[in-house]
Amino acid sequence: MSKALPNYGSSRPVSRPLEGALDRLFDSRNVWSVTVAATALYLLFFVGYPILYNVIMSFQEVSVSNVGRLDRPWVGFANYQRLIGDPLFPLVVKNTIVFVSLSVILQCACGLALALFFQQRFPGSGALRGVILAGWILPPLVVGAIWKWLLASDNGVFNYALQSIGLISGPVYWLSDPSSSLLAVTLANVWFGVPFNMILLAAGLSGIPREIYEAAMIDGAGPFRRFTAMTLPMLRPTLYALVALSTIYTMRSFDVIWTMTHGGPIDSSNVFPIWSYKLSFDIFDFAGGAAASTMMLIVVFFVALIYVRSVRAEARA
Amino acid sequence: MKSLLKTAVWAAASVFASTAASAGEKIQIWHIFGNATEPTLVNFTRWNETHPDNQIDQKFIPFAQLSQQLIKGIATGDVPDLVTIDNPVVASFASQGALEELTDLVKGSKIIEKSKYYTGSWNTTIWSERQYAVPGEANTLALYYNADMFRAKGLDPDKPPRTWAELKELSAKLTDPAKGVYGVGFSAIQSEEGTFQWLPFLQQSGGNLASLTSPDSVAAMTLWADFVKSGQASKDVLVKRQFEMMSAFLGGSSAMVVGGPWELQRMDKDAKFEWRVATLPVREGKNIEASALGGYVWGIPKGAKQRALAFKLVEFMSEPEQMKRAWSGGRLPPVPSISVENPANPKAYEVFKTQMIVAKARGPHPAWPLISSAIQTAIQSSLTGQSTPAAALERAQAVIKPLLDKNPIEGL
Repeated sequence: MSKALPNYGSSRPVSRPLEGALDRLFDSRNVWSVTVAATALYLLFFVGYPILYNVIMSFQEVSVSNVGRLDRPWVGFANYQRLIGDPLFPLVVKNTIVFVSLSVILQCACGLALALFFQQRFPGSGALRGVILAGWILPPLVVGAIWKWLLASDNGVFNYALQSIGLISGPVYWLSDPSSSLLAVTLANVWFGVPFNMILLAAGLSGIPREIYEAAMIDGAGPFRRFTAMTLPMLRPTLYALVALSTIYTMRSFDVIWTMTHGGPIDSSNVFPIWSYKLSFDIFDFAGGAAASTMMLIVVFFVALIYVRSVRAEARA
Repeated sequence: MKSLLKTAVWAAASVFASTAASAGEKIQIWHIFGNATEPTLVNFTRWNETHPDNQIDQKFIPFAQLSQQLIKGIATGDVPDLVTIDNPVVASFASQGALEELTDLVKGSKIIEKSKYYTGSWNTTIWSERQYAVPGEANTLALYYNADMFRAKGLDPDKPPRTWAELKELSAKLTDPAKGVYGVGFSAIQSEEGTFQWLPFLQQSGGNLASLTSPDSVAAMTLWADFVKSGQASKDVLVKRQFEMMSAFLGGSSAMVVGGPWELQRMDKDAKFEWRVATLPVREGKNIEASALGGYVWGIPKGAKQRALAFKLVEFMSEPEQMKRAWSGGRLPPVPSISVENPANPKAYEVFKTQMIVAKARGPHPAWPLISSAIQTAIQSSLTGQSTPAAALERAQAVIKPLLDKNPIEGL
């Protein structure tokens, strides 16, 4: 019996000198400076450099012939002025705000609903949860293609289903009607982001002790009151972090929209990442593309700042 | 700093390379041919068999990413010796100094001669009277139609629409909402593909890019807008690429569709009905035959190491023996005198060959992508009904006119 089981504890210092050495190494002070330096170098090179390069580019005049050099003519804020003066600018700003806020709100709401739902144990809950997570594993290009088929006006599943149950009489032009295309891509993006929200919220929920619910039930609190007075407040740090993370993810989402509409029709689903890409690679306006992504970067930076602060507040609490 | 260092190393390497003998050197190519049976790839193999000293080192890049990859290559100083370029962007690349000038090489060539080529194809390789590329393959658009659907509606499949009026009439008759069938289809997507498909109609109308607000130009836009408004074309034309429109045709939800020869292999394989191809209709009273001109050209990126070798390969690819293989990949040789013996789909071959004669190049213009983008916006605002065709074209005109004033495009 004792032979079959690995014997932890007593034999450790004798039979594993390597582990002991590692322990000593990691306990020593020097190792931290080395690892921190390595991380800092990595960030500087792979994150800092591209960002700086992009920001510099947004202040220069860039063409195909000088895109490979750094010593390009300096034009100050001209690229930004050009973008802000572009008739597309207000539309893209509006689209981005609608797309991001709707995506974040719906993803959090649906994620929370699902997380609460799967907290109830019922037969098959594990399997069902796995199926929902499967959506998150798919590459965004695939998600975009699938949703394009689902929402096709002539032979799409959505229209067929809605027509079969008599909700609509003719096909709805989800993607080809400028008034609905943004909603359609938002819908696909929400579907894509819900599983991630669900996981994080489920983790947050599991951190709330069961006993206080039992106590509240004895005190006569109903399910609605338990949700508003206990679950939501205790979930607040998780929700803050989640809103920040979702906002950052959604701000940079590109593939799903690109596959579904290319930002059309008439730019009705054009958001900042799409615009930036089109400027750079459709009309070779690299400086414009860089300026667009820098503007986005500033917004993301502030959201990230809020996120970092909320995490810090949570750690302190 | 890093790129500077890289440039220096690379410059040193290229000086060394140009002094060294070319034996044993490989030719690096970036191309758009993903299918192993593509004629160009077959030709690469033939080159490799006959030139053991200078093998081809090839890399496939999907069509939609090629410009982007080339720009990245230029940015990092890592360019191939030869690259296939979509013909409307040659002028953009050339005007920004991203391509090697080939004027003298072409003048000295016995194989590549201007007089042999389709004027449209040749024009795409010229910028500012200098040569920057050599036409590789050409393609154009025609009208595919479902002969079975023609018969089912009591129409004669031997009489495809020859005029806009006939196109409208047939499209109205073939439209069958109960069966989910649209009369006609084209791609009006907000990308170069939408521009590519609309320009033939602009030329047929008698209008042109320089006068987009003329009644003729407006008529071309109205034609498309009316098809969508009347429900004879699906609203999904606004978001479907040409490939997807052809899928709709294959799936029986469109009775006619504007498409290119690159679809023929798919038609042979997947069509469950009798289909045919006809030249695009003309506008009554104008009778201008017109179509679009697509295709790739061979270009040597600025800073390529094996320039001489790359040009030798371009010459090899331009020999009739190699060029005539194009049709088996659904494209045409850019040289009309080269005839394909026993072509697959002989009738379609004749139609596309006829269509090629009137096919017009997009550009050349250094700001073509901007011009194209203004056209796309005009198409989309007209077809969604957000603007009248006249108002939409007026806005496009405002963008395009200053660009054309600077660099006019002959015949467009």
